[in-house]
Amino acid sequence: MGDISTAAAGSPPILSVNNIEVVYDNVFLAVKGVSLDVAEGGVVALLGANGAGKSTTLKAISGLLKPERGAVTRGDIAFRGESLLGLDPPDRVRLGLVHVLEGRRVFEHLTPRENLIAATSMHRDRRGVKDLIDRTFTWFPRLAERAKAKAGYLSGGEQQMLAIGRALMTEPKLLMLDEPSLGLSPLLVDEIFDILRKVNAEAGVAVLLVEQNAAAALDFVDQAYLVDNGRVVMGGAAATVKANPDVQAAYLGGGHQVDYAAVKHYRQRRRWLS
Amino acid sequence: MFYRQAGIRYTSYPAERQLWPLGIERVLMGLILALALIAPALLSPLLLSSYLLPWVIWSIAALGLNLLMGGAGQIHLGYAAVMAIGAYSATHAARAGLPFELSLLVAGLASAVIGVIFGAAALRIRGLYLAIATLAMQYIVDFAIGHIPAISGGTQATVATPTPRILGIPVEGPVGGYYIALVVCIVVTLFMLNLRRTSFGRALAAIREKDYAAEILGISAFRYKLMAFWTSSFIGGVAGAILVFCYYRSVSPEQFHLETSVQLVAMVIVGGLGSVLGTFLGAALILLAPLALSALVASLASSGLPIGSDLRAHLPLVLYGALIVGFLIAEPLGLAKLYDNARKYLLVWPFRHARS
Repeated sequence: MGDISTAAAGSPPILSVNNIEVVYDNVFLAVKGVSLDVAEGGVVALLGANGAGKSTTLKAISGLLKPERGAVTRGDIAFRGESLLGLDPPDRVRLGLVHVLEGRRVFEHLTPRENLIAATSMHRDRRGVKDLIDRTFTWFPRLAERAKAKAGYLSGGEQQMLAIGRALMTEPKLLMLDEPSLGLSPLLVDEIFDILRKVNAEAGVAVLLVEQNAAAALDFVDQAYLVDNGRVVMGGAAATVKANPDVQAAYLGGGHQVDYAAVKHYRQRRRWLS
Repeated sequence: MFYRQAGIRYTSYPAERQLWPLGIERVLMGLILALALIAPALLSPLLLSSYLLPWVIWSIAALGLNLLMGGAGQIHLGYAAVMAIGAYSATHAARAGLPFELSLLVAGLASAVIGVIFGAAALRIRGLYLAIATLAMQYIVDFAIGHIPAISGGTQATVATPTPRILGIPVEGPVGGYYIALVVCIVVTLFMLNLRRTSFGRALAAIREKDYAAEILGISAFRYKLMAFWTSSFIGGVAGAILVFCYYRSVSPEQFHLETSVQLVAMVIVGGLGSVLGTFLGAALILLAPLALSALVASLASSGLPIGSDLRAHLPLVLYGALIVGFLIAEPLGLAKLYDNARKYLLVWPFRHARS
């Protein structure tokens, strides 16, 4: 399994999740031991099968468990050294952490521009808001083209861009993305990852990405964690994770030929890991 | 401890779909049924006729409303009007010489026919707009009953209901009325419990969750929304008839005003949308809590606590409101969810949680 901690030596991580356990409805255990670190300005992926607990982990970080009757029952989540547990979602956004939900959730009856402005409730000066909108439109020129349409009529890719752009309006230090590639064409996925790379480089925003599309995600990130059955089972540099034969077999399709023996081997080992 | 599913291995689909898979719940149900049957022997006539009987009757009505609100997700703010239609048509049918059993049927059919006309509004509108449309039904029915002497016998009039006769035998007194109400309540409860196991119940649930998603699965929202209004109004009509025949023993327009509709909605919401158990608990809380609180405050006042007559009149209402709000804050999904939480806890006990 190796060393799970991947924080770069020296600089303290911006986000540090320490062995959290999440229980839904007081009874159903969804996450039973996820630990991860995101370095300042780092780009990290959380990979795993459906139902492994990836989205639940993100919701625990952004504080969205409560409406779904969930709670963090053990462990700690620290953002820039400060514990997040006990803070409401809006307070967490003020600290500089923002969550782009799975399935986009744009405000359908508002225009893209109004969507962006809606995310600036904590900004008081108008000039600052205007600069932020310009910055977002520079990153997402497609949104500028459609600034006056209703968000509900945008294409899926444009809505995803709007959701990310809207999150960036809060000037986050950490951007959490839940399946940005959902239902998008491979070309659009590439385009969105290119933009995210630019955002990361220009604004120094750290990114925590949850993805099903493991191949695309591993090309994009520096570090990756593998979640299985509610636990982190592997973590390390993206290249190392990508090269791992188990990951190759189970998540990347094993190159050109699916090696069923390897998949079986992984499944057997997985029982010991979880 | 008693909530154990260990060792349960189903060998047929009917076994897996049984209503109460847990032995303890079957025992509890049997116990409650037995207690309900021998209640007249256990309780004083006062307790029976002023607490248990109204609870049973209002539970029938709330079950009918819960079919619509919890089952099909359609709000109805005029359910008392539906009951009024049933109450008046049954009374007039019985006075015209129809047997009581057939009068109940007439009550159900009359309410269903009129209820479905107003329910047709739900085909075009939903949510708050539907609430207003059903509110309009409440006012229109109130007006029609009050202003048509043939129905109400004139404004402010009270029409006495004849003694109900089951198979020609007159059933008199609160005990007889209680057993009539109990039988209807059991039938409606069994219907509601089994509803979710039928294609009708599943279609309603699909419409409740997302009506256009139901449509693309081949479930006609048009048909099933109307059927939901039909069934729910039928139950409401029968409940209204039982209410006036077995409890009030007369029928007058002010028994079925908007306040009653709001109380019914409160029963369903406080109890838990879509839950049969919750409907009974909600009806108990809304109906019996004011009586119990008044008695409590009265006994406190007579025991020497300095409670003035003004406070004595208003304190029960304040406590009643606080109780409802308190329960909803503690558990927004209603009283039924409280039992569900306890049940889930006991099912996994002594462990803290199960794998989802």
